[in-house]
Amino acid sequence: MNAFEYIRAESKTHACEMLARWSTGASVLAGGTDLLLTLRRSNGSSPKAIVDISEIREMEGISARDGSVTIGPLTVHATIERSECIRSCAPLLSIAASMIGSPQIRNRGTIGGNIMNAATCADTIPPLIALGATVTLKSVRGSRRMPLEQLFTGPYVTVSEPDEILEEISFPKLSANSTSAFIKLGRRNALSIARLSVASILVFDGKGRIREARIVPGAAFPTWHRISDAEQLLRGEVPSVKLFEAAGRTVAGAMIAETGRRWSTAYKEPVLAVLVARALQQCNDLRKKERKVR
Amino acid sequence: MRISVSINRRSYSADVVPYRTLLDFLREDLGLMGTKCGCEIGECGACTVLLDGKAVNSCLVLVPQIDGHEVFTVEGLSGENDLHPLQESFMDHDAAHCGFCTPGVLMSAKALLDENRSPSDEEIRTAISGNLCRCTGYTQIIEAIKDATKRRKSAGRRRVARVRSEKQRRRKK
Repeated sequence: MNAFEYIRAESKTHACEMLARWSTGASVLAGGTDLLLTLRRSNGSSPKAIVDISEIREMEGISARDGSVTIGPLTVHATIERSECIRSCAPLLSIAASMIGSPQIRNRGTIGGNIMNAATCADTIPPLIALGATVTLKSVRGSRRMPLEQLFTGPYVTVSEPDEILEEISFPKLSANSTSAFIKLGRRNALSIARLSVASILVFDGKGRIREARIVPGAAFPTWHRISDAEQLLRGEVPSVKLFEAAGRTVAGAMIAETGRRWSTAYKEPVLAVLVARALQQCNDLRKKERKVR
Repeated sequence: MRISVSINRRSYSADVVPYRTLLDFLREDLGLMGTKCGCEIGECGACTVLLDGKAVNSCLVLVPQIDGHEVFTVEGLSGENDLHPLQESFMDHDAAHCGFCTPGVLMSAKALLDENRSPSDEEIRTAISGNLCRCTGYTQIIEAIKDATKRRKSAGRRRVARVRSEKQRRRKK
């Protein structure tokens, strides 16, 4: 590991001041589960300073107020996985958090780090975009808020400036008439990196028709976004296996239209279609189950 | 920089360079070789220790980050004359073959049992899912952890029984 200056930030303001001073020379340390790997790869591009924000307690925790949920970026995956609040108002996010790495990684890795690292395989980003999350970036120059999907410009690239930190993540709670699912496909169950993933939310009307659908695939596109063509296909329809399969094919088609045919397309095209259909089916099964409980 | 840390319930104060991992600090500075160095990228779990009671990969923690915190390694498991129920159970079930993963697995198991006194098979499997073992096929490890929960309970029961009988003896006097 190359030498660097270590700065333990005492507060958000302190962290921003330090980042403003060191600019591009500094890296932010939160959970460290990604950063430590880069630090050990001594290829000359290592940071001159590490601003450790992991002890800033005000940046940690989950709170629900009115219709929305706010998550501090330093909240670790294990906390999100077990949070009763997340389990009830954003179940798909809790599921995604439970599938990250290993228990050791989930005890240390943070949701903010998962977002700011911006790896295409990041597990919490598709659920958050499906939930309609917004993020706040903070620097000595002020704060700015944006929809999460606008934060990313490419794999591992965000619009955040070197002096900015992620301050807050928030999203509206899912309504009682909606269900959600997250499916991740990796090479194994534990410690796996998503080859493909799908986050989906279905909102139903009183008659059991689909009022609104949201579908966000992961690890399939350079950046994440909802697939509006497939969502429109589902709107106002009665749920059925055929309908879900058609939506799956539409999503796979959107992937090819955007990324072109690549060596992995022969595999990814049918698999993504199936994963989308399965995620939607899970949403529908959950609705039936919940109706029985009521 | 100077850090103060509790390791296996002993307080340490040390001058460290910040660009080192907790794993290197434990093994090279403190000579605590029980914590193993495997992949160094957080995938094998051989370096698992408890940080404030939670299982973490010590290869992914920077030394300055333990300042003011509590670290627990495999060396802290046993007493002076007795083994931890997990260690006894691992021996009885042949849960260690080459032994390289064992310290890490023990720490993951300890984190589980500290939180959950009667875990299900599924919970045991999840708890050790970040620890790679290439010899045992995991079966003996899972059996050993399950058995250790019984040992803990019976040890606890024995302790309770002892305290009760002592109280009764005192009353008779």
